Amino acid sequence: MAKHVRISQLQKLTSRPCHLIHPSSPTASFRCFSVLNRPTPNYEGHLPLTRTERIGLALGSGLGSFLDPRRGDLIASFGEATAQPYFIYKLRDRMLLSPTGRRILRDRPRLSSTSLDIPRLRNLAPNTVGYAYAAWLDREGVSPDTRAAVKYIDDEECAYTMQRYRECHDFYHTLVGLPVFREGEVALKAFEFANTGLPMTGLAVFSAFTLKKAEWRRFWDIYGPWATRNGAQSDDVINIYWEEELETDIDQLRARLGIEKPPDLRAMRKAEREARKKEKEASETMARAAV
Amino acid sequence: MPPRISLRQARKLPPRSAVWVRAQPQRRFASSSADAPDVYDVVCVGGGPAGLSLLTGLKASPITRGLKVALIEGQDLQKTRLPRDASLETFSNRCSSLTPASVRNLQEIGAWAHVNTPRVQPYQEMQVWDGVTDARISFDWHTAKPLLSPRNPAQPTTIAYMIENLNTVTALLSRLEQLGGVDFYTSTKVNSIDLGADTEKMDFSSWPILTLSNGKRLAARLLVGADGANSPVRTFADIESRGFDYGRHGVVASLKLAGQGWGGPDHKIAYQRFLPTGPIAMLPLPGNKSTLVWSTTPERAAKLKTLSQNDFVAMVNAGFRLSPTDLEYLHTLPSGQEEEVAWREEHTPVNERAIPMQVADVQAGTVVSFPLRMRHADTYTSERVALVGDAAHTIHPLAGQGLNQGQGDAAALVRTISHAVQTGQDIGSTLALESYTSERYAENNAMLGVCDKLHRLYSVESGPLVGLRSLGLRAVDAMGPLKALFMSRAAGGS
Repeated sequence: MAKHVRISQLQKLTSRPCHLIHPSSPTASFRCFSVLNRPTPNYEGHLPLTRTERIGLALGSGLGSFLDPRRGDLIASFGEATAQPYFIYKLRDRMLLSPTGRRILRDRPRLSSTSLDIPRLRNLAPNTVGYAYAAWLDREGVSPDTRAAVKYIDDEECAYTMQRYRECHDFYHTLVGLPVFREGEVALKAFEFANTGLPMTGLAVFSAFTLKKAEWRRFWDIYGPWATRNGAQSDDVINIYWEEELETDIDQLRARLGIEKPPDLRAMRKAEREARKKEKEASETMARAAV
Repeated sequence: MPPRISLRQARKLPPRSAVWVRAQPQRRFASSSADAPDVYDVVCVGGGPAGLSLLTGLKASPITRGLKVALIEGQDLQKTRLPRDASLETFSNRCSSLTPASVRNLQEIGAWAHVNTPRVQPYQEMQVWDGVTDARISFDWHTAKPLLSPRNPAQPTTIAYMIENLNTVTALLSRLEQLGGVDFYTSTKVNSIDLGADTEKMDFSSWPILTLSNGKRLAARLLVGADGANSPVRTFADIESRGFDYGRHGVVASLKLAGQGWGGPDHKIAYQRFLPTGPIAMLPLPGNKSTLVWSTTPERAAKLKTLSQNDFVAMVNAGFRLSPTDLEYLHTLPSGQEEEVAWREEHTPVNERAIPMQVADVQAGTVVSFPLRMRHADTYTSERVALVGDAAHTIHPLAGQGLNQGQGDAAALVRTISHAVQTGQDIGSTLALESYTSERYAENNAMLGVCDKLHRLYSVESGPLVGLRSLGLRAVDAMGPLKALFMSRAAGGS
């Protein structure tokens, strides 16, 4: 428990000054950017960080999310702290090179349960993206409204790119059909890293070392190779206008993007569990028979 | 066997009557029989800035004034002349940046007084930056000064003069007409150049004999090739010209800006942004006019030429403001760039005062492009032949040095000829011409190399080189004396 306290303290430490000391004049803030003198935010909710703060945030949130991968807020901060200065611009540029990506940047749609109208999605045909998404949300018991707002990315357009990536994360789950527990997340993060190039997703793959032996073997043999191959070969998933694809056939969408669906992880785990159980039973019978 | 070339394109032209200005009584060397050529001391092929500057230089000097010279030019020079009262609302799209050294030379030969001055725009500052990293260097004589010493107030502040090539040519032509003594063969092509024969009257066996499209034959003691990059004279002299195509085109256009420029009418600024596809440059002309030189891929150049005027204007504005990524996408659109650029400008933070003012309009019909090449002849001289200007070398336009090199060549060749005349040498002999090559070759080669390396350096889009070049650019920007050295080299000084 102690580690969580420490990390949340760190977060408070980095974010407190910008709430308290907002620069009074933009010219003064321009001259000297320090903890005591922050420039005006570039967009609503923006917290400009100094370089030291950024490094501190990256280390602190990185360590925190490694130790407890359920801390979504820390993963989000880690993602933002490591995406700048280079990677988020590259991802934004990839969006700018695609007509759909440009349209997303222009419209700046936000994904939430209200904007998506989840009950309507449940009534769509079962082969559609929208139905699969709603079914996936129900199966995993998550909601699209839990995504935190971006605050540490300096460029407002890149901040939106980060926000979009984050909000679409559940759609990526649906697209590849991977569940939210650690093993599925690691495989999806590997896919995302190969596809988006965001460092957070790549570093998150290192949590594969914390997997159990059987999970690790599955990742190494099946999901890892699948993720890198598909992530690198398929079109950029950030450039999918999900709001317009809700009624598309999900297999058609996968084919269009060039993504092969990986084997069903939940089914595989279940089968393995059952196999183990059967084996155990068999050995027990054998033992009894031997006796 | 004497080398012989025939000029195919010349045959295609309908025979036109040659304009033959005879300004002084012709001296007779040979008999007046039909097949005997007219003998000249200097025959210059090509009436561009370099060729005209050479002839003006020869006629302006008391030492070489007596030489019998002829000019052969395929076009009618009178027709393309810039009218004295030409409107300042329109400008030719072929402009050059004349360095102070070139202007000094034009003053010395008396041509600068004939220039249409209201159409010339001196500029005092130059802003150059990296399109990928925004690293910037600014050139002006205020920041570039020797260490620890104040700037010499007597030193001129002008970096160079923007002038239409037409204005330069017209001024030289006016001066040449004032001086007189040149036989003009205009609207006349050279059909062939052969070596002469050993006749009873004179041994022409080492002399180039030119057959013109009007049937005239001229024998040249010294044949000067000022006939451009595909020089027929160079081909005749069997001088190899080495180099390569950049795979880039230069798009030029005459533009109208939103205002006179950030420095006002007395402090004009030239801008150049290095994009991975090539540099885009905006150079000031009088008033709110500017000229564009955008080096880019042939595909993009072709696309730019097909755009509507509004979209083209938007693309030029984008070229100085938006990211290489946005530019890449914009070139794929068939139309509608204006709207797209307006949206992108909202999301691309730029310091407006550090880049040229917004382009308001483009002069209709001025958007054209030409391929960029780097060529350098192995030598500039051979027996009775000398090459000047583009015939000897072609250069990437990123430093605006092409026309200035031609002016430097012409001035050097005048000096060489005048030395030969003074010392009683044959002006066509390789020995006499030797000093011309030695004076110009190394200097031109260095400039060609520098521009070529700059082009290569800035073609790189990503990787460690991008960081290094930005670091280097900022370092040079901070070092006044080093910058002053570069500026004086680019200004044609030493």
